[in-house]
Amino acid sequence: MTIAFGFLAGMVLVSALGVVISRNVVHSALFMSGSFLGVAGFFVMLNAPALAAFQVLIYVGAVTVVILFGIMFTQRPQVRRYRSIINRQFWAGLCVAVGVGVFLSYVVAVEDWGSTAPGNGPREVAKIGRQLLGVAPGSDIFALLFQVVSVLLLVAIVAAIVVSRRKIGTGVDRGVEE
Amino acid sequence: MPQMPSQAQQVLDALLASPALEAYLVVGAIMFAIGAWGALVRRNAVVIFMCVELMINGVNLTLVAFADFLPNAGGLGASYAVLVIAIAAAEIAVGLAIVLAVFRSRRTVNVDEVTSMRG
Repeated sequence: MTIAFGFLAGMVLVSALGVVISRNVVHSALFMSGSFLGVAGFFVMLNAPALAAFQVLIYVGAVTVVILFGIMFTQRPQVRRYRSIINRQFWAGLCVAVGVGVFLSYVVAVEDWGSTAPGNGPREVAKIGRQLLGVAPGSDIFALLFQVVSVLLLVAIVAAIVVSRRKIGTGVDRGVEE
Repeated sequence: MPQMPSQAQQVLDALLASPALEAYLVVGAIMFAIGAWGALVRRNAVVIFMCVELMINGVNLTLVAFADFLPNAGGLGASYAVLVIAIAAAEIAVGLAIVLAVFRSRRTVNVDEVTSMRG
């Protein structure tokens, strides 16, 4: 377990660093999907296999593809110099991020979590389904949250279509005049 | 099983033991910090979205670790993680739509060149 943990942690953190410091945007997107795969492995280790499947389907599949589409529409893939991809707050941002990371790690390390033991996660898909619908004991709030998130997704889909729709007669795609 | 030296046995036990809750939490915290760094320093709006997704995944990892390790949590963290994934998907859809709209009118997605709302 420790070997798997170390492998996954290295995969997640190295890929996350690759997203930030990669000079090619497409490489950033691929590093991001590698990082998400590592998180899916963590979900398997944490007794949530259904969530790992969601993670692979939604993040490694859908979100990465959508972001690659965004890259395809907005820029040509090319390696750029660091000065052109990173703004002037490089060292200040690094200081802030290191401060946030050290502070969060310190807090979670010194906090007394009481008696912790692995194996409490909802391993069965039926259990996580009942919790999401709010019929499992202690999960009443999810009956509300589930519907709120459903409406939010609907609104977001409509908003995405409305915002990104091209007005008739305006705008030019690259190379294709209307 | 042949008798092993006690030190080798200790190392083997440590390798086979399941990692503690704090290990998962620290990985999630470091992932969050790396995502925050990228969102602060990068210019490209699409890369900023990727870094925000990294931060969301760090938080998700923390939630699921709590759901698995804390006996009184009842495993509800996994359900919260499903909701977080749905909200992140909505965010990426709207965000990329805005990026496309900005690119269509400005021919750039660099966030420090889009300054029409600067006070």
